[in-house]
Amino acid sequence: MKGAWVVSKRELGSFFVSPLAYVVLTSWLVWNGVVFWVLTQFYARNAVSSGAATPLSGFFGGSALFFIPLLVFVPVLTMRLIAGEKQSGTIEALLTAPVSEASVIFGKYGASLVIWCVLWLPTLIYAWIMSQHGSVDWGATASSYLGIFCLGAYFMAVGLLMSVLAPTQIIAAVLAFVVLGVLFAVGIGEFVLDGTAREVCAYLSMWGHMQSFAKGVVDTRYLVFDFSVAALAVGLSIGALKARRHG
Amino acid sequence: MIEVEALSRQYGSRLAVNEVSFRVEPGEIVGFLGPNGAGKTTTLRMLTGYLAPTSGDIRIDGIDAVTDSIRARERLGYMPEGVPLYREMRVFEYLRHRGALKRVPNLTEAVDRALELAGVEDVRTRIVGQLSKGYRQRVGLAEALIADPPILILDEPTSGLDPNQVRQFRELVRSFGGEKTVLLSTHILSEVEAVCDRVIIIREGEKVADLRPGDGEISLEEVFAELTTSGVTEDAS
Repeated sequence: MKGAWVVSKRELGSFFVSPLAYVVLTSWLVWNGVVFWVLTQFYARNAVSSGAATPLSGFFGGSALFFIPLLVFVPVLTMRLIAGEKQSGTIEALLTAPVSEASVIFGKYGASLVIWCVLWLPTLIYAWIMSQHGSVDWGATASSYLGIFCLGAYFMAVGLLMSVLAPTQIIAAVLAFVVLGVLFAVGIGEFVLDGTAREVCAYLSMWGHMQSFAKGVVDTRYLVFDFSVAALAVGLSIGALKARRHG
Repeated sequence: MIEVEALSRQYGSRLAVNEVSFRVEPGEIVGFLGPNGAGKTTTLRMLTGYLAPTSGDIRIDGIDAVTDSIRARERLGYMPEGVPLYREMRVFEYLRHRGALKRVPNLTEAVDRALELAGVEDVRTRIVGQLSKGYRQRVGLAEALIADPPILILDEPTSGLDPNQVRQFRELVRSFGGEKTVLLSTHILSEVEAVCDRVIIIREGEKVADLRPGDGEISLEEVFAELTTSGVTEDAS
């Protein structure tokens, strides 16, 4: 697995010297800054109707404003992982080095998780700001970040798989956007369907997932789901990369 | 040593390489010659494990390259056609990265040695994407040499080099004679005559000749023209 570490290190090095990294990180923070401001304004004006919810629980998945940017940012961050190597031809050098496909995929996936964490790290400042003006439920905040990490494990694995399957970065981004968009839309079924279908949609719902974690409830069903999807997507990525030699 | 037995590769219904067999002895420098689209790159990609053969066997220093691909790849230095490199890295960073991937001990020394052999010490801190094609080509060569592999597979290694660089490259490859096994593809006949002990010619995926330049009366150019054009209608594409 030393190969995975070497692959990861290069991926991160290349990402953080690329203009893409800074465009993404900056626009991400601008978006979230606006969202956080809107939420604090909303809760300040509607203190009664918001009940037990706080700006922080609203911020962490309480609104669609949390998911809409993710559906765009995740594909942009994952598109380059393998499809970028295909486009530049460097995949030939990578796959003829004495490293296994599993090492390559684990390395790329590990790097994408680090990027995911870097994306969220600056949002800790919102919790700090709240703590300066009132009380913060640090347990709920910790579980929110755990929820975000698990969601990232799931999203980044899906994006990685699309990057393995797609011939170019743009196609990888579009595929990841569509797949994540569909998975997000499935969660809406919770509000419009009945019976078993409703149960299934609720279980798959990213929305329910984040709302639960934002309240401080660590629901193991969501953890199992996230890591199952991540394991499946990573496994399929390894398989697809192996199959490429026969293509 | 490279041993290839009845190697075939199909892309869909198109047969790109058809039952090709050859051997490259230890320390031998062999030219792999053929017109464009003859299957040279496909064959080399199978040798290096980038593509799986449809059928046939490949042995790299006695290791089965199909079933034991990683161990076979450890024996190889490969310079792919077009020399794909990570453009955003500095030359020495790139070589360190590739050396680490190949588990090279004493990385710093290995990088220095590869830079020196390929003649790119003067650009060691430059960014790869800003280098001229000739330099990038030689960085690719340095990469192939980083792990000091016993076998080198070079796909059109001199394309993009100026005449002086071509001469230096040929001297370097000749200096490997007897020490490293080299298989290089090219369509430059003078290159083969200048550096190779032996030449394998393929046409439309089939081996049509395996000979030593200088054998017989006629020149390699005539042999090549005869073998690769006779009975073949002009390719419209």
